[in-house]
Amino acid sequence: MKRVLIDRLKPGMKLAKPVVNDAGMILIGEGTLLTGTHINRLENMSISSVFVEGTSGPAKTKEELIAELDARFRKTEDEPYMSTLKRIMKEVIEGMNG
Amino acid sequence: MDARDIRSQIETVDTLPTIPSILRKLLAVIEKPKISINEIGSFIANDPVLTSRVLKVVNSPIYGFPGRISSLNQALILLGLNVVRGMLLGVSVFEAMQKTMVGLWEHSLGCAIASRIIAKKKGLKEPEEISIAGLLHDIGKVVMGLKFPDEYALAVGDAQKSEVFMIDAERKHFNITHADAGGWISLKWNFPQNLVEPIEYHHKPHLSKNVPLQTAIVHFADIMTRAAGFGFSGDNFVPAVHPSVWPVLGLSDAELKEIIQEFEESLGQAEDFLLSDE
Repeated sequence: MKRVLIDRLKPGMKLAKPVVNDAGMILIGEGTLLTGTHINRLENMSISSVFVEGTSGPAKTKEELIAELDARFRKTEDEPYMSTLKRIMKEVIEGMNG
Repeated sequence: MDARDIRSQIETVDTLPTIPSILRKLLAVIEKPKISINEIGSFIANDPVLTSRVLKVVNSPIYGFPGRISSLNQALILLGLNVVRGMLLGVSVFEAMQKTMVGLWEHSLGCAIASRIIAKKKGLKEPEEISIAGLLHDIGKVVMGLKFPDEYALAVGDAQKSEVFMIDAERKHFNITHADAGGWISLKWNFPQNLVEPIEYHHKPHLSKNVPLQTAIVHFADIMTRAAGFGFSGDNFVPAVHPSVWPVLGLSDAELKEIIQEFEESLGQAEDFLLSDE
């Protein structure tokens, strides 16, 4: 799965996540093969990107992301403010979709 | 090597045969103290590769209006002369960046995005100008890599092997750091003050006299980009935040969280931007 900007979408790409509006209503379902009409509709909406199938490298799990975060911070964790930064980064990873 | 000696060598980096020709031409233009938007515009327009790169970058997540700028004139008017000047430098050192360190361009892009997001949160009037300081903060690595390719590669290898920070490996090999080199070259190239200090002091933000907030932003944006694991700056570890920066930035935990959330979202888009074809 990768995130693609609306203006780079091409007909035939397959949605890996549904497109929802601000109210949370599904506008185009997951798995839809995008047509030119879909793409035109998306262009007129206030979203900048959607998720389609394909690779931009394998998607990492939250656990993997957090393990990497721990590794990156291991030298400076005890320095002032670093634990705050790390805690907030962790919260953001945990709150991510998917 | 003596620091003064290194400085004078670094200042001649624009005469290197390996320097991208586009950068050489560009420096001749931007070193002029008084240049108009029209002159810059026609300089860019004469070079189709440059034009398409500029449009690509202005539509990237660095500036926060993805896909909405379709012409060069629009870009110049929206972003202003200083931003376009800095951005031109950024795009023309792109290849040199990738040659110095694979991932340095991504790191720089990430830092540009983070700088803009923090600047916006702090209510600064020209967040795009600060994003340029973020984009160019590691320009010293590029000029050191161009001028002393073998020795610099050794320093990069050292940092990896012995898990020391890149900046310490540079000190060991050169007695100077990329921040020194960046400061010298930005003075030589007549960068404005609000670029020079963030570049020169992004590891020692407390030394910035004229633009302490901008410098603090770039310092923290650099650390945020490493914390997010985006791109490669030569280090596998996140360096510590300089304690002087926290009170200057004055961010609450809630504000910091909003910044990091927006940053992570923009990075998702940046990845796509980086993967797309030239």
